[in-house]
Amino acid sequence: MNAPNSFIFQAVVRLIFFLINIFAVYLLQRGHNWPGGGFIAGLATAISLILLSLGIGLKSLHRIMKIDPARIAFTGLTIAVLIGVAPVLFGHAFLEHFSVHFQSPILGEVHIGTALLFDSGVYLVVVGIAAKIIFVLAKSTQGLGGLVREEQRRYSSVRERPIEEDAPDEQMEPESRERKQ
Amino acid sequence: MELSFYLYLAILTPLILSAVIALASPVLKEKSGWVALLSAIISVGSILMVAFKMELPGSVVVSTEWIPSLGINFSFLADGISLFFGLIVSVIGVLVIFYAIHYLDRGTRHARFYSSLLLFMAAMLGTVFSNNLILLFCFWELTGLASFLLIGFEFQDSSSRIGARQALLVTSSTGLLLLVGFIMVAQVSGSMEISELLTSGLPLEEHKGWLTAAMCLVVLGAFGKSAQFPFHFWLPNAMAAPTPVSAYLHSATMVKLGVFLCARVFPFFMELELWPQLLAIVAFGTMVIAAIFALLSHDLKAILAYSTISQLGFLIGYYGLGPVTGVEYDYLHILNHVFFKGSLFMVVGIVAHATGERDIRKLGGLMKRMPLVGITCLVAAATMAGFPGTTGFLSKEMMLKEIFDAMGSHGLLGLYATICVIVMSVVKVAFSARIFMNIFMGKEPDEIGHHYHAPSFALQVPPLILAACAFIGGVLPIIMEKAFALLTVPGINIAPGHLVIWHGFTPELVISTSMVIVGLVLYWVGQKTNWRWADIPKTFRFDFAFEYGLVAFSKATKLITSGLSSDRPMNYLPMIFAFLIGLFAFFFAQHFSSLDFLRVVEWKIDYLRAFVAALIALAVLGALILKRWTTQLISLSIAGFLTCFYFVLYQAPDLALTQILVEAVTLIMILLLLGRFPKSAERGEVSKRCTRTRQTFNTVAAVSMGVLMTLFVLMITVDPHPDPIGNKFLQQTVPLAEGSNAVNTVLVDFRGFDTMGEIAVLVIAMLGCLGLLLRYKRTEEEYKAGPMGPPGFGIDHREEGE
Repeated sequence: MNAPNSFIFQAVVRLIFFLINIFAVYLLQRGHNWPGGGFIAGLATAISLILLSLGIGLKSLHRIMKIDPARIAFTGLTIAVLIGVAPVLFGHAFLEHFSVHFQSPILGEVHIGTALLFDSGVYLVVVGIAAKIIFVLAKSTQGLGGLVREEQRRYSSVRERPIEEDAPDEQMEPESRERKQ
Repeated sequence: MELSFYLYLAILTPLILSAVIALASPVLKEKSGWVALLSAIISVGSILMVAFKMELPGSVVVSTEWIPSLGINFSFLADGISLFFGLIVSVIGVLVIFYAIHYLDRGTRHARFYSSLLLFMAAMLGTVFSNNLILLFCFWELTGLASFLLIGFEFQDSSSRIGARQALLVTSSTGLLLLVGFIMVAQVSGSMEISELLTSGLPLEEHKGWLTAAMCLVVLGAFGKSAQFPFHFWLPNAMAAPTPVSAYLHSATMVKLGVFLCARVFPFFMELELWPQLLAIVAFGTMVIAAIFALLSHDLKAILAYSTISQLGFLIGYYGLGPVTGVEYDYLHILNHVFFKGSLFMVVGIVAHATGERDIRKLGGLMKRMPLVGITCLVAAATMAGFPGTTGFLSKEMMLKEIFDAMGSHGLLGLYATICVIVMSVVKVAFSARIFMNIFMGKEPDEIGHHYHAPSFALQVPPLILAACAFIGGVLPIIMEKAFALLTVPGINIAPGHLVIWHGFTPELVISTSMVIVGLVLYWVGQKTNWRWADIPKTFRFDFAFEYGLVAFSKATKLITSGLSSDRPMNYLPMIFAFLIGLFAFFFAQHFSSLDFLRVVEWKIDYLRAFVAALIALAVLGALILKRWTTQLISLSIAGFLTCFYFVLYQAPDLALTQILVEAVTLIMILLLLGRFPKSAERGEVSKRCTRTRQTFNTVAAVSMGVLMTLFVLMITVDPHPDPIGNKFLQQTVPLAEGSNAVNTVLVDFRGFDTMGEIAVLVIAMLGCLGLLLRYKRTEEEYKAGPMGPPGFGIDHREEGE
């Protein structure tokens, strides 16, 4: 998607992006005690990313993000699994959570625990997957290859080709060329 | 240091270094082979330390809890047989890794190779040392997985992929049978620990039929892994792997797991009547068939693969006919095979590497070019054929002696075994001779000169060491005899009798000599006729049938899927609805009183809720009436957003939040997807309108379904559950999970394991989606129209005629 030629839209989207994400982090950290949590926060962040892609265009978003959203999802899963396994190494049950509560001058009563870390894993998984799938879909609906060359190798077998065997490769070229630079 | 430390060190070193090599591949690159070599040497050292620390013969159990409630533990058993197999795995591992370092070309992915190889080694060591049946199964399947990775190492070749798939499907599915067998054993004996089962024995008297079935399943698992008939077809195809892999996995170690398993369960099952029959008939039969196939093959690796199957057949059948006290010479036979087959595989690898040719008909006269390899091959082939002065001779003498004894104790079965062994030995002499003579002797074909490049000296060392072992063991059998006596395990084997090179003029020697002569004659006949008749009959190429079966399977599933037309809900939803409506209409007509609850329902109208409900109804109506699908979609999602109001009214803020966000993301996703459809469809044009009757039917079905669901909801709310589970969570959330939001504590704490499973599924689903999205399709016109944006965004949306 190219960016629309509207400065106002772009500026508003950039502002909203940060607001939504601040809200998402707020939702994530309060999840254990009040409405919120990793899944909801993840969806909120995914929506902010979609908005941003509408505002500034997919290509510039790619440039800004640098990280493949799929990697964010893998990181999230790894964190969640590690949080699950870690107590076993210390002789506790699988996925047992520990937390500390204390009073702090500014924030008031603070709860920090492994449950929050686990929830962060969920958050990252949801963000990564929603962003990845939507970006790929968005690109492919415009006749672009949803995935760049190296991703094609990563996510599908070597033998796999697009159904349109005669698909002009140039359509994918700009993407991969851009990546190399 | 403790014994347990060394035992864990032996198994964990390759496991950890496998991960390290995989992660550090950009740094290590071609050096990863040396890291792998170090790991294998550490394993050898640790296993030797275990052997020195414990009293031999004897056994030690090292155990750590895993899932004690199910009797599953990380429990390892060090006794003679596990030490013997452990040493074979690690020592051959050292040789093979050293060989591979010099064998693999620069361009190949070294880190990937050694990482899988070490993973395999760890899995093998885990399998042979495990004391727990479930643990054994886990490691057993891990070896299959690692072997899949190694066979498919050169995944660009279709033969590699097919071979890898066959090996994986055959060994892992038979592995599942093994699991069932183990569970059956555990059910009647009440224990999963092999050491406990060895002391207490199985209740064969009370549960004979049950245990016979368990035995069959376990033996089938062994047959699958050791490529016995009818699973013999996967091993030759697994030869698509690089030669070091073939030498390691498919001759010296992994395929021996079937033999190992038969040895492990020998004391449990040997007294069952079916044990000798099943093992001897299948395994000895495989032995003969595979030996004949080896003679009929022309590909060097195929010859060796079939001869491996043949030898495995002998080893398994040997345990089948073993006497109650335990077999005598199993270690000798196994070690002998490891020596000559490992060596031959490496020799074949060198030959194929140097000449670029694996067809035995196109080779010859290489003795002048590589004398050292030639001598190695001569010793190894002589060992295979059983010539005096090698371990092969000892093995063959003992084999004949014992098989003649079996004729006395097993009657007809013994006679069958004897005939099989004699035929196999004759054929084996012939193809042993063929391997050495047709590669290294005779005239050198012209093509070889063009391709030939000399192998490095280091590459020739590992096969030479193995061949030297076969020779030294054959001349000085006393060394082996001492070691075997130390490694005996009561119930499985007994200390072997005195091994000498010369037994005097015994009947075995006469038969052995005549077998060699007949074998050489067979070889001579083959040479005279130029091996024109040599071809494996199609009937026995089960791999073809297997591949056809796979194709047919996928066709059948496609047929079922299209038959169910799961991609067109309009085909099956009316049917399901009509059935449900009919069913309940009939039920309510029969039991009219069951509708009495409607009288108990409190009918009162809450105006706020009624207003929201009316809005939802309106939105749904909009979806029905509107023509363009973007508007339809938006009106449908308005209905979704309005549902959030209900969640808020019922005080479920978490649900409301989730609903809003999910609704938003779904809407965007569907809008993007709709962009893939042709423009005509977007405007609401349908290629085939449905008939008026069908329309009426659908309407009636939809409305009645709505009424039915309303009835259900009323029925449920009239009579709430007396003790809903939610209250428990509400009460326990603060004391147990230290959080006051019960929804969240259920997700991350009480049901945290479910959540973890769900996010794993999400990631897997994403990977699947990405693979599918690579296949995209549009019509030709749309291609010409160029890139187009998703409708409804107002961005980049190219109209027609532009």
